[in-house]
Amino acid sequence: MNTDAIIVTGLYNTQEETLAAVEKIQEKGFEVTEVHSPIPSNALAQALDRKKSRIGWFTLTGGLIGFFSGFALPVFTSTRWNLIVSGKPILSWIPFFVIAFEFTILFAVLGNVVGIVTQVGLPDPDYEKNYDPECSGSLYGIEVASPPENADSLRDLLDETGSLKKQRETK
Amino acid sequence: MTSMDTAFTEPSAPFNKSVFFIPALIAGGGFLFFILLAATGHPEKAWLVYLTNFMFFTVLSCGGLLFSTLMHFTKARWSHTFAAVAEAFSAFFPVSFVLFALLFIGQNYVFPWVGQDLHGKEVWLNVPFLFARDSGAFLILYSLGFGYLYHSLKFRLKTAPQNTRLKIFLFKRFEQSLHDPETIKRRMTVFAGWYMFAFAMCLSLIGFDLVMSADPHWYSTLFGAYTFIKAIYAGFGALILLVSLLHLNPKVPFTLTPAQLADMSTLFFGFSIVWGDFFYSQFVVIWYGNIPEESAYIVERTMTHPWSILAWTVFLCCFILPFIILLSRKIKQSPRCMIVISSCVLAGLWIEHFLLLGPSFLAHDPAVFPIGISELIISLGFLGLFSLSILAYFKELPETLKTNSGEGVQWK
Amino acid sequence: MSQLTFETINTTVLDTLSRPGKAYWCIICLLFCGVIMGASCWAYQIFVGVGVAGMNTPVHWGTYLINFVFWVGIAHSGTLISAILFLFRAGWRNPIARAAETMTVFAVCIAGLFPFIHLGRVWLVFYMLPIPNQRTLWPNFQSPLIFDVIAISTYLTVSSLFWYTGLLPDLAIIRDRSQGVRKKIFKVLSLGWSGRTGQWMNYSRAYLLFAGLATPLVISVHSVVSWDFALSVTPGWHTTIFAPYFVAGAIHSGLAMVLTLCIPLRKIFKYEALITMDVLESIAKTIVFTGIIVGFSYATELFIAWYSHNSIEMETFWWRAFGHYAPEYWIMVICNTVIPLLYLSKKIRTHVIPLFIISIFVNIGMWFERFVIIAGSVAHDFLPNAWGHYSPTWVEGGIMVGAFCLFFFLFLLFVKHLPSVSMTEMKEMIHKVE
Repeated sequence: MNTDAIIVTGLYNTQEETLAAVEKIQEKGFEVTEVHSPIPSNALAQALDRKKSRIGWFTLTGGLIGFFSGFALPVFTSTRWNLIVSGKPILSWIPFFVIAFEFTILFAVLGNVVGIVTQVGLPDPDYEKNYDPECSGSLYGIEVASPPENADSLRDLLDETGSLKKQRETK
Repeated sequence: MTSMDTAFTEPSAPFNKSVFFIPALIAGGGFLFFILLAATGHPEKAWLVYLTNFMFFTVLSCGGLLFSTLMHFTKARWSHTFAAVAEAFSAFFPVSFVLFALLFIGQNYVFPWVGQDLHGKEVWLNVPFLFARDSGAFLILYSLGFGYLYHSLKFRLKTAPQNTRLKIFLFKRFEQSLHDPETIKRRMTVFAGWYMFAFAMCLSLIGFDLVMSADPHWYSTLFGAYTFIKAIYAGFGALILLVSLLHLNPKVPFTLTPAQLADMSTLFFGFSIVWGDFFYSQFVVIWYGNIPEESAYIVERTMTHPWSILAWTVFLCCFILPFIILLSRKIKQSPRCMIVISSCVLAGLWIEHFLLLGPSFLAHDPAVFPIGISELIISLGFLGLFSLSILAYFKELPETLKTNSGEGVQWK
Repeated sequence: MSQLTFETINTTVLDTLSRPGKAYWCIICLLFCGVIMGASCWAYQIFVGVGVAGMNTPVHWGTYLINFVFWVGIAHSGTLISAILFLFRAGWRNPIARAAETMTVFAVCIAGLFPFIHLGRVWLVFYMLPIPNQRTLWPNFQSPLIFDVIAISTYLTVSSLFWYTGLLPDLAIIRDRSQGVRKKIFKVLSLGWSGRTGQWMNYSRAYLLFAGLATPLVISVHSVVSWDFALSVTPGWHTTIFAPYFVAGAIHSGLAMVLTLCIPLRKIFKYEALITMDVLESIAKTIVFTGIIVGFSYATELFIAWYSHNSIEMETFWWRAFGHYAPEYWIMVICNTVIPLLYLSKKIRTHVIPLFIISIFVNIGMWFERFVIIAGSVAHDFLPNAWGHYSPTWVEGGIMVGAFCLFFFLFLLFVKHLPSVSMTEMKEMIHKVE
């Protein structure tokens, strides 16, 4: 994308309109950089060619760390003094499994959170760029990148596809 | 309409008489081996295998039908095609009842407590009362299952030709009853609800009476619930196995989508964890309390040879492998992979049934591995018998294999 | 349902966040007084000693443990609704998921207070933490009490994170429609959520994973709590059925608490279009189901107590029904298994007043179930010489009332400052229907 490209945004009423508009805009050769929506949509994700989410790997890693540390902690602590308590063996795997299970879930969730922070990109101090507050209500916002010369034809195209009269332009 | 017409004539094609030959042969062979084993001085081994297989296939078939009732009761929409196949498991019900009655013949061997001094428990553990209440339980459970099936067939057989005696009989009954789809659905819901309630009650009772009582001085309050959770787990596994086999068979019109199989496999995965949880709940309480009257049971079955080998196999096949393997969505969507996994789980659950009963029937001998050739052949015989019931169901009612049968059909 | 649009959902929910009236502040003040009263009772106990509570030989676990199990149980059905029903794609969960999750978070907080209160010498709470003492002796990880510490901490952490994650898109909605200080606060809270497609994709996956992890967590946490009792050898406690029995009981009481909270919420905030009668009916039907499981557990325990022919087991269960605590036992049985069956009648479960009243009864019954199990078993165990009774004192009563006030205080604060219905999930629900 050249450095003097501008972003034109348009607002649409429904998901179907938005999808149709995205198709048409992409046909005309423009690049749809982003769509803001009030609810998630697999169709939009496909239209924008977004890659499959990688959060699962963070969660799995967390879970594995949790599983092994959940066994490691009781094993380590009971071997400090090697005392037989209540007639149970020093390394009693059956009760230790409970600790391991809870740690697995805890660390998997923490891995999930790390995944959210990195993949979803939160916290995001710059969220207001090209964002219209209506998009959290009921409207869908499309961001299209284009070189400044084509801005007019792009705006006309947005009008054709049904965009509401709240188009903006930003650098 | 024309393509549907050819579909009518197609379904019976794969189910001509020749497909029954091999299972019938295996079933016959198993039966012969059973007689042989019982007659040649090892009746307790013979009846142990009989009881194991009886329990395994009975709970499996009850659990299979439960899938259909559960999906209907909770108004799930993704599972209509599977529910049709799940109903086929009810074909084993009459066979199971006959097999139960035959247990009476071997009562001295089937019930290790016969003749023992039970210090007052004889009021409950005596052969006539046991047979009376358990037959009653089976009758109630199976009648409710058939009641549900009857109403469900009103939808599934809507577009079927009346080309067999059974169908003519059914259609005559259908004519006499109400046609309104909403009423039929409501009745199905009532039967489904009562079937599931009876499932829990009756299978708990059967578990207490036939399996837990094998060691009459041991008890566990969770045993009944554990039995019916095992039944659901086994039933779902068998269902996945059956639908995958049907899907892969080109002569059968039944198909499933990867998404449906993945959903079913996810449910199965969930139940592997539920089964594991119920198993662990019993195990940890008994292990931790370390009360000899209770712990002797699990010590023998999980910590002494040869039973510990079986116990670890069960743990591996029923929990570890499904847990790790079913994390992958690709595997969950593949019928071939699911056939392997569900067979693995079912084998593990069979061994588990054998493991619970075995030490009560056989004398303790660490050197002898308890599962031998005769046990395998007799078990295969039972499998043959089970397959015969399923095949007979599909031969009689091939319309249930059409992917758009069931409540989804628009009733004209 | 068909009149719902994205905009009406937004306005219905956002209207509830407007400036509250006098009645609200009166109730908040009252509840806060209740909290202060409970805290004062606790302060009294810290200064004088835990002996001011009724626990003594043989019953050394009383209302503090009962309340602990009670509140953990309530927390569970919040996670059931938000996580388990999400996995099963049950649409009726969407309107109540937010209130239920919030109920979970607050209930776990209160549950976590009770072991702390029960300590007596609260400055020794660090004994429970996984740190070594000055002789490098660590907590005993084989003990069910330490299982509890790990399990409840995990549950609190996971529930809070799950709750907050679910709130994010809704916090953005509030941010975009507020001004001034409020906008600044919600700008920070919503972490800059902007609904980009990539964000939604990853978010949905994370939410699904949260739900998938919270489900086994719920079952394991209450199983761990049940093992506090089952891993002992006391008759009436040492029984294998406790884990699923407690989980089912937890969901039973929690769903009843959801009804107790959502019915007034629905009336006062005019949520009838969002939390429809269908939703309340589905909750009622699920309560029938869990009630049957609880009844089945009671019957099984009685049967096996007889079957075991163990004189101590038989005595324990006979005494439960006919001994000193018989009234509590029968309250438990009737409120938990018989009264919920009234929900089988369509007429009863489609009218809010019967729904509400029966839910109160279920909660009372479940509280008494924990009483019968906890106090009733230890009061009458092996040696007749060691049999005794237990009655709660005013200190315990005060703390219990304070805890209930704290719960409703927190919940009322929540409903006026954060969206009590998940706008995003409601929009997803109607979008699917369209």
